[in-house]
Amino acid sequence: MTTDQDLPMDHQSSTALFAAKGIDVTTNKDQGVIKVIKHPGVDGDRPMIGDRVTVHYTGKLVTGKKFDCSRERKEPFCFNVGKGQVLRAWDIGVLSMQRGEVCTLLCKPEYAYGAAGNPDKIPPSSSVVFEMELIKFEGEALTGDGGIVRRIKVKGEGYTNPNDGSVVNVHLEGRCGDRLFDCRDVSFIVGQAEDKSIPLGVDRAMDKMQKGECCLLYLKPKYGFGSEGKPEYKIGPDKDIVYEVTLKDFQRAKDSWEMDLKEKLDVSAEVKNKGNQYFKAGRYYQAVIQYQRIISWLEIEYGTGEVQQKKIQDYILTSHLNLALCFLRLKEFTQAVDNCNKVIELDENNEKALYRRGEARLCRNEFSLALADFQQVLQVNSANRAARAQISICQSKIKEHHEKDKKTYANMFQKFAERDAKTGKTRTIELPERTFQWRQKH
Amino acid sequence: MLHLFVKTCRPNELLDSMLEITEGIDPGAISETILALLPHLQSVLLRLDEGKAACVGSTLSALQKQLSRLPVPYTEQQEEADEYGLCRCSAALTAFAEPFVEEVKRTDGNCAATAEDEELKIELLKFCMRSLRAPLLEAELKHDKKSPLWLFAVEIMVTLSAIKEPLPGLLFFSSLRKNILMDNNQFKEARACLAYLLFVQLITIDNFPAVFSHVFILQCNMEYISQLLSRYAVNTTLFSALFTKSLERVQDNSLPVSLLDLKSFYSVPHNLRRVLTDCPIQHLVSASLVVFQVFINKLDAEAKHKFFRCMLKTSNHAGIESYIIKNIRNQFEFSMKGNANDWFLGTEFISLMRLVLRLPQGAETDLLGSMDKVMESLNLLRYVLIRDEELRTNEDVWEELCRIKEEYLKMLRVCISISRAYYSSELKALREDQKLKAKEARDAARSTKLVKSITVKQEKVSNMSPEVQHQVLQSALVTFDLMESLIVRIEEITEEKLNKLN
Repeated sequence: MTTDQDLPMDHQSSTALFAAKGIDVTTNKDQGVIKVIKHPGVDGDRPMIGDRVTVHYTGKLVTGKKFDCSRERKEPFCFNVGKGQVLRAWDIGVLSMQRGEVCTLLCKPEYAYGAAGNPDKIPPSSSVVFEMELIKFEGEALTGDGGIVRRIKVKGEGYTNPNDGSVVNVHLEGRCGDRLFDCRDVSFIVGQAEDKSIPLGVDRAMDKMQKGECCLLYLKPKYGFGSEGKPEYKIGPDKDIVYEVTLKDFQRAKDSWEMDLKEKLDVSAEVKNKGNQYFKAGRYYQAVIQYQRIISWLEIEYGTGEVQQKKIQDYILTSHLNLALCFLRLKEFTQAVDNCNKVIELDENNEKALYRRGEARLCRNEFSLALADFQQVLQVNSANRAARAQISICQSKIKEHHEKDKKTYANMFQKFAERDAKTGKTRTIELPERTFQWRQKH
Repeated sequence: MLHLFVKTCRPNELLDSMLEITEGIDPGAISETILALLPHLQSVLLRLDEGKAACVGSTLSALQKQLSRLPVPYTEQQEEADEYGLCRCSAALTAFAEPFVEEVKRTDGNCAATAEDEELKIELLKFCMRSLRAPLLEAELKHDKKSPLWLFAVEIMVTLSAIKEPLPGLLFFSSLRKNILMDNNQFKEARACLAYLLFVQLITIDNFPAVFSHVFILQCNMEYISQLLSRYAVNTTLFSALFTKSLERVQDNSLPVSLLDLKSFYSVPHNLRRVLTDCPIQHLVSASLVVFQVFINKLDAEAKHKFFRCMLKTSNHAGIESYIIKNIRNQFEFSMKGNANDWFLGTEFISLMRLVLRLPQGAETDLLGSMDKVMESLNLLRYVLIRDEELRTNEDVWEELCRIKEEYLKMLRVCISISRAYYSSELKALREDQKLKAKEARDAARSTKLVKSITVKQEKVSNMSPEVQHQVLQSALVTFDLMESLIVRIEEITEEKLNKLN
């Protein structure tokens, strides 16, 4: 979709244009942002707060002097609208646009660069003009893997969000396809939504929500009902679901620094049990959340006297060990290794940590490293039969690898010898994939 | 000889052999070897058709791995001397990468970029990221000194824009990218260096979109500041330059309390505080204190309230606590001058006062060690009692304040009397010990025997000379007098106000 080239706009003609055709898009109608539509977009399709929008823009002073242009960079500009990431005028202006719309925004300084301006480009207290094109928009991904995508229907208020341990009061409407399968008002503790049969995705979205907010959460199976599905709701395996969530109110849990050591130790006992409960039920993500809470409370505590110090150390050690096991189950091997490393830092000969790290490394095909870990396990406890079994697995994998390499190289040289014998020339070789993999490990 | 091989041999095998040469060589020989190999590596790579991107990537990776073993020069003289050749190699690396950058630039004009082109772009991006992390993160980069490493930094920034890598995505939205294949911490460090070069040194800032809000930029940079503080706290001033620059454009009293929930907004002040209390380098401490105050100034009332509570609860350091209490006093004064808010008046203010007017160790408080904090708290108390109009309007609030005040002053008096007694007796013992020594010296002078042993009356054996010890003990006693006089003044004010009301 192309737009007109730079229209030369001098001060008089632009103000006249805005006075004649402009719409005040501010909520309190203070003329702070005035819009003139040059090219309407797709009717009815507007972005919601938080959406990831893509625009092209040109920014000019009212004198017509250009100070910023995304087209010149050949880079469309992306941001989450309505979240204060950009100039106020943009948050207001872009929310009023439709997909494909091209418009111009006249912005007063309070909605743009303010009294300070922008040292090199924009004088103090300047009104500015932005030519905008709304190319596309999509929901806001709350996690790196795009498994939870949010679209906000009603913006919340205030500045705080629920944290892990907060008690939240919500209204939920869950849909699979068009079918409503879950509709209720419910209270739950953030991190423990599982106890009320609320999927992980809703739980994890809580700390990004504000009081009074109503949003749609698009959940991939990993954050929904997974490969088990939910027979009670008649939902099959690996289904995408959508939850409409209204956060009516919540009570935040104490921050780590607000709790004294005794409080933390008391709560850690409960939280550890909760984690174990989730682990036994196979709810590994939920277990991870609980164990991580213990670590975040205690990793910066020192305790007075040996008894307290030992208690803190014990909690931290078991939490990391449990986390390693959870990550092994979740097949997140790097995180498993990281947690084992933390244990080994504190306790060099921790049998469980060494064993689990060996397992994780084996799954990452780091055979020699895994072998070393299992051998160390035997040094700590020569009766560990499982470690012996793992050692032979490692050794046979290593051998397998070497055999493969040998074969490849043997064939390769055979091939070239044959080829060169035929042609008498040297030429570029096509090396099989294996060599590239080896090289990339440099 | 080498170019004969390059012309006749198979590129991939050649590549492998040349890279093998670079592994495990003596640090002194690294730069020479690399400088010698680079042009040949380049010609070999340019001859490849398939798999070029992966080969370029692994070559750059191998070379950078070797270069990372060299120490980074951090003074002008060191950079000029370039003893280990790091600067020369960095320059040579950019020259080496140039034709591949050009290739990526060319394909971007056309519509269809092949998978190979994409791969080349990613390898070059990884090269830039690795360079930012090492050596650039440790280098002394200032735009007024156009040193070799500065020029290298500029080249890297230019390369990033040449391969069309949008900086906003890299700096602000990178939780959404997964193909960098670099350790998370290392990736963050690379981006921290990038943020410094862009926002503080202003390299290629003209190409950066001018439409982001300053609070958002601060929020994103906070992660980098936190990373820099936790790893390089004492070695560089990178973090304070980036922090200061990011805070500069934010309006005073504007940062909302929700920002304090972000991990980076907790860890930065936390680590900054460690610098203030533990760092031996004076100019770093002064710079940190300045930026600490600027940060406080940018918080809005509710955020300040939460921040002060957090600091008072977690500092365990009298100097920091006294600094915070001074800030509380300023805020209280500010609120009186027509900037009324819920946080420095009324019940919320009392919750702060509760944290200020307390002695966690009770009668065992080390008054001298806590002197700064105690004096500052008494100053605040005095001021609050003088300007009591607002607080008195709420009976419950006023009652609570009086109760806290009474308990605090009572405990303080106890501590003062205990400490005074202790130090007085120390002083007395010191004087008597001096008298004894003087007498022994006179006796020794008279007798022919040399008196070797010196009786030590005090239990504490300190390595200060008796004169200095005397001074210390005297000034301790003076301090207690000061504290007491301040308490007396406070009680006088309370009396006066009571009389006025009756």
